[in-house]
Amino acid sequence: MANHIHRREFLLASAGTAVALAAPSTTAAATVLYSDNSVKLDKVRPAGTDLWVRSADLPRINQFELKPQGACRADMCIPIPKALKNGEWFNLTGFSRKVGQSFISDSGVWSFGEIPVMRGSFYESRIAPDFAVPDRKGKIVHLSDFRGKKVLVVTWASW
Amino acid sequence: MIDAQHAVSSAYQFVNVPMGIWIDERGRVVRPAEPAWTEGRTDKFGGKAIVIEGDKYVAALHDWVKNGEHSPYMLSDEEFARRVKPRSAAEMEADASFKLGVWFHDNGNNELAAKYFEHAQQLNPDDWNYHRQEWSFTPQEAGKKWMDKFQKLDKPYYPTLEIDPNKKQ
Repeated sequence: MANHIHRREFLLASAGTAVALAAPSTTAAATVLYSDNSVKLDKVRPAGTDLWVRSADLPRINQFELKPQGACRADMCIPIPKALKNGEWFNLTGFSRKVGQSFISDSGVWSFGEIPVMRGSFYESRIAPDFAVPDRKGKIVHLSDFRGKKVLVVTWASW
Repeated sequence: MIDAQHAVSSAYQFVNVPMGIWIDERGRVVRPAEPAWTEGRTDKFGGKAIVIEGDKYVAALHDWVKNGEHSPYMLSDEEFARRVKPRSAAEMEADASFKLGVWFHDNGNNELAAKYFEHAQQLNPDDWNYHRQEWSFTPQEAGKKWMDKFQKLDKPYYPTLEIDPNKKQ
């Protein structure tokens, strides 16, 4: 999807305040489900309903990267409050609350829904969100592989 | 292609199968999620009917392939916006919950999988993919569960196929 964000968009900090606890000191492992990705992290810091991850892990979790102007992905940057950062740690769930993203967790697995603002290119510009799924031989096929052709996508199921 | 994670349904808000989308050469969605049958027929279950208009769908598809942007089945931006709405908070949470259920199922924890499949169904009861995927794990009960829910429907089982070329689209 990141390849399909064509506008430069800097979001102003939202009026709401992200609730952020100080990063706890106890580390654990966790699995994070984000879009189509499943990422196993050796070190996270869970704190109540919050999940702190190492900032260096962000790109492989959700393709965001922390920069001076905020959390950035492709040509979009989202300013983040200082409270979401603590040394090498970043409050991933606090970030989700700020951007209106759903998440749910159990037994060390954290599942995150879509980031509403990242869907803008679909709702507003009709740009087809990319996806990647394996074919019957296990080869990964991206929707974007078919750019330049008309595409019909139909889902079926065996149930 | 095999979509074990329901990535396509999630990206395009498909709520049943078969559903389809059309995408043009520039990567723009020409027609968003809608039933994508390839034949026309009416199925009856317990006095209620499922009307399938695949013949219309296939004819429209042929027209678009041949005529491209001059096809009367191209949707205007206004019509696209009318049909495609951002997910509600409950729908977004349902999506996250369903993906969590899929992960637990794939990793052998059927108890937690059932918990989060059920949570997703409660949050977004109109998404039949959520129901049918979970029911597929207990196939001996799936038919009865489907029929019970189907009989209680107060709207068509599939979203209505709005593909009349004589209407402005």
